[in-house]
Amino acid sequence: MTRILLARFILRATTLALFAAACATSALAQDASKGDAKAGHTLVYTCGGCHGVTGYKNAYPNYHVPRIAGQNYDYLVAALTEYKKGERAHPTMRAQGESMSDADIRNIAAYLSSITP
Amino acid sequence: MHPIRLAALAALLCTTSTFAAEGGGAPGKTAEELSKPCAACHGPDGNSTNAQYPRLAGQYHDYLQRALQEYKSGERKNAIMAGFVATLSDADMDALARYYGGMPGKLDDLSKHEQGD
Repeated sequence: MTRILLARFILRATTLALFAAACATSALAQDASKGDAKAGHTLVYTCGGCHGVTGYKNAYPNYHVPRIAGQNYDYLVAALTEYKKGERAHPTMRAQGESMSDADIRNIAAYLSSITP
Repeated sequence: MHPIRLAALAALLCTTSTFAAEGGGAPGKTAEELSKPCAACHGPDGNSTNAQYPRLAGQYHDYLQRALQEYKSGERKNAIMAGFVATLSDADMDALARYYGGMPGKLDDLSKHEQGD
């Protein structure tokens, strides 16, 4: 009787451990696909030429280049991907997007979205 | 369907039918009134907590205005935004852009956040 109880306990404990391991693995996988903020920090050096100058304006048509520090991750990935694919028109940003890999885009978005005031 | 998308679509349908009866534009509406449908995705304070949608609070107002105009002209393509801006006059877009641009938010330019290696 005790042996059966012990066997059941071990079975349950193993199931629980496997479940926990599965959760941890998927959490890690998500982090990996989310982009690396540290790698992004290096990449945004280029962006600063326009987005790092307070009050800098697009020449024609004349409007401020957007504030991108602190913007949301998924939106940034979508915007940069649209530039990369030519679905958003701004010539400078299209050229930038074309030069970025999908991983670059995720890394840049991870860094920018991690910035807090 | 994602609940927020559903809410946005529902809001879109409501505003479209209401404004269609008035023949476009919304004379006499304050920015706060105009912003009600926006809040479903962008948050009542313009700081969307769903990463899919951009934060608007504290963005340059002329960039926001430009974005709305591009959605209206079709230069920028997004099914949800196209539906919303179709009902907005130039004055409405200007008022909304100033409303969100003047809100306190987490957005910043990159002047304090870039680095070279």
